[in-house]
Amino acid sequence: MSAPTIAAGVAQVVGGFALAPLLPGLVQQLKARLQGRRGASVLQPYRELRRLWGKSAIDVEGTGPVYRFGPALACAAIAIAVLLVPAMSTAPHLGVGHDALALAGFLALSRFVLAAASWDTRNGFALQGVARDLTLSIAVEATLVLALAAAALVAGSTDLRTMIAGTSGTDPWTSPALALAAVAFLLVVVAETGRQPVDNPDTHLELTMIHEGPLLEVGGRDLALLQWAAAARHWLVLVLAAQVFLPHSVDPWAQLALLPLALATLCAALAIVETFVAKMRILLVPRLLGVGAAVALLGIVSWLVETT
Amino acid sequence: MGSLLIAGAALLALGASAAALPRGPALGVWIQAVGAAAIGIAGSIGFLSGDSVGAVFASELEPRLGVDPLSGFFLAMLGLVATPALVYATAYLRDDARGRATAVLCAPFVLSLTLVITARDPLTFLTGWELMTLVPAAVILVTHADAAARRAVFVYVAVTHLGGAGVWVALLLLASHDAIGGEGLTSDSGLYVAVTLAAIVGFGTKAGVLPLHAWLPRAHPLAPAPVSALMSGVMVKVAVYGLVRVLVEWTGPAPIWVGALVLALGALSAVGGILYALFQRDLKKLLAFSTIDNVGITFLGLGACLLFRAHGEDAWAALALGAALLHALNHAAFKGLLFLGAGSLERAAGTVDLDRLGGMLRQAPWTGSAILVGCAAIAGVPPLNGFASEWLTAQALLRLPAVGDVPDGALGALSLAALATAAALAVYCFVKVVGQALLGPPNEHTAGACEVPTAMRAATLALAVACVALGLAPGAIYGRLAALAPGADAIETTAGLDVPGSGGLPTPALALVLIVFFGALVLARRTSTAPAAPTWACGQEAVPALGWTGAGFTKSLRLVLEALLRPEREITVETRGGVVRSVTYTGRVPHLVDEYVYRPVTVAALRLAAASRRVQSGRLGTYVAYLGALVVALLLAVKLGALG
Repeated sequence: MSAPTIAAGVAQVVGGFALAPLLPGLVQQLKARLQGRRGASVLQPYRELRRLWGKSAIDVEGTGPVYRFGPALACAAIAIAVLLVPAMSTAPHLGVGHDALALAGFLALSRFVLAAASWDTRNGFALQGVARDLTLSIAVEATLVLALAAAALVAGSTDLRTMIAGTSGTDPWTSPALALAAVAFLLVVVAETGRQPVDNPDTHLELTMIHEGPLLEVGGRDLALLQWAAAARHWLVLVLAAQVFLPHSVDPWAQLALLPLALATLCAALAIVETFVAKMRILLVPRLLGVGAAVALLGIVSWLVETT
Repeated sequence: MGSLLIAGAALLALGASAAALPRGPALGVWIQAVGAAAIGIAGSIGFLSGDSVGAVFASELEPRLGVDPLSGFFLAMLGLVATPALVYATAYLRDDARGRATAVLCAPFVLSLTLVITARDPLTFLTGWELMTLVPAAVILVTHADAAARRAVFVYVAVTHLGGAGVWVALLLLASHDAIGGEGLTSDSGLYVAVTLAAIVGFGTKAGVLPLHAWLPRAHPLAPAPVSALMSGVMVKVAVYGLVRVLVEWTGPAPIWVGALVLALGALSAVGGILYALFQRDLKKLLAFSTIDNVGITFLGLGACLLFRAHGEDAWAALALGAALLHALNHAAFKGLLFLGAGSLERAAGTVDLDRLGGMLRQAPWTGSAILVGCAAIAGVPPLNGFASEWLTAQALLRLPAVGDVPDGALGALSLAALATAAALAVYCFVKVVGQALLGPPNEHTAGACEVPTAMRAATLALAVACVALGLAPGAIYGRLAALAPGADAIETTAGLDVPGSGGLPTPALALVLIVFFGALVLARRTSTAPAAPTWACGQEAVPALGWTGAGFTKSLRLVLEALLRPEREITVETRGGVVRSVTYTGRVPHLVDEYVYRPVTVAALRLAAASRRVQSGRLGTYVAYLGALVVALLLAVKLGALG
């Protein structure tokens, strides 16, 4: 196994599993600074995880195994997604492949399980969040798949390693396909990370929650698992944005060196958007994401016109 | 294989007679189940060995039967659904006149499906085709005596016969040009256009693609659970079988428009079917609408196959056909399971109204678990079978822009978006089913519900195992399915899936890693020692009235798509003496195809019929005058030489 492969494997596993909570921490910290507050440390998510890990949970009356094991299964699905998304084009085959469409499947699995767990509690607010999340997910999934499809067509494969390699350098950027797909994917980033203008991660008012809703009846280590999963979702979409949809280097070592920088830039962008853009009316969000899907489709058509 | 098939058919016939005996239908249905299993095993042998037995296709109108690998695959699918469905029926059918009549009719239904699949000439095919339509109609009429059911059966028979005429036209045209069984028809003739359009309309009606689906959500929910499972699981797939024969096997590479038409029908059905499924309260009706969605996904694979063939990409055409057939099989497994499960819920709780069900996982753990697996599979989440075939279909659609021209490439991308949308909607729809029917504490309607008899439990569990197995090792049969396409080379496959130009889907490894992660996390989380607490409802007591209904859970989507769906709602507030006494809410999502396509056509047809009735006076003299006028007109025509 060559050195870039080992480096890519380490970056993917360590970054995805251990360093992912830094990303929401960084966004929160930058947001606080932009708003003139000192804000919590970047390490705050780790402290939260440690605190929750030490707490005991209280089950909800009348629930069964779906509620009890749902958070663990949703978290396991996201963990597989972390294995699916390579950090560099030289990533090793970790036994599960690196397929872009498989990634969409495991994100759907985590959504399905979490929604079912909320149904088991019969909590009105949790289900409200779930219903909203599922409504948005329809547009998110179409946009995600079309954006990935545009990049896959440019690269000639849905293998994410090939996609990172095939979209690197300056050549792919001579056609508008990748740029349009990038615009669409950035909307997916905002929706999947649950940030404004789609969702407000700081809200603790039951009526306004989307992604926080299903967490309402979960406590202790289960909540820690789900908070880690939310952080890992940041890692997944931000790494894809940085290594596929933003300009990146052909050289694997340069890819690795620039990844932290790209992730920090994207976090800063999320913080800036969250500071200056108000939350949208929930019923208008699918329209925004629908525009994203149309833009990605336009990207594919422009690629078609270019190549045929 | 041939003798096993004949033995299976004989057992089915024997079972039908035995079911009519006064001792009760159970024994006869058991015999039928063995017969169906024999047919399924014979089909699997034919499919897996790649051998053919019996006659080959010919255009002469003399009865001949035979099995080739494609027929074998559909026979295996029939066995996969019919065997558990009949085992289920042994406990499900009651020992009364209706139960016995249904038990007797099950055998002709399975036999007519077998006949269509094994027919090797147009006459046998069309005979089987008509029987396959009429037997379920008889079953519904036997089990339901009310006017609503009669009306639904009328719509079913009327629509499938009007549309099904296309099958007659297509097959008889092919037969008259001796083109059945060979690639005798070139795509530039007018005959080809007629055959193709007739086949798409005829088979499409039976498959239930939008907008030819009007009968499906009416008829499927009415039939008894085992027959519903066969109708949704197998009967609509037999239409796909016919379409594959006509469009892929018996005609050469189709022009672009044929593939584009099939693809567009598939995309419309996939999204439209699941969208209307989401708003159903009746579980069986919901499942019927979701059948339209899954037939749409199958059509997406088939359309991609036709477009790849048009561009000369035979290897990709084979992969797309394999994806379509694999999805057809997967759908047979989970839809059979879910219809049987719906029957179990009806038996256990007395209702299939989702707003009344609840807590059934606790009341009926075996049935509930099986339905949970079926819902996850149909929602298309890994590592179950629905995801495997949807992944393959998506890979095929993704490849269309790479080989096609701009218009069909763009259509491929649009279809991919439709598939992704339908997949997300399916998660929404079936998480609602799981949540409403299975999860949470039992309510006042389900408090007395209990587990169903062993045979019914075993049938649903067997199909759940099939869903898991097909999800773990789809590659075991996928390679053989792709090899069924004309001009395809055999591809080497493992248990997982791999498509050129993809990252691969090593399903066993994915499932294993998922289980390892899940197990580790379950061990890491501590079991709660504190007593359970009520759910949070802002401080008030969480009474059942605060629970979510299906209408509430889908409201945000209904509002987002208001312009498209045009939902109707009416709220009546009754006040007396300034005090609100009652609030009534009625809301529904009207089915737009019914309202804007079928209703105007029906109204116009009835008006035409009313107008033509004026000619019918009922008096003998008028008819004599008509006859006289006709004779005079004919004589005049002869005199003027108009008749040659």
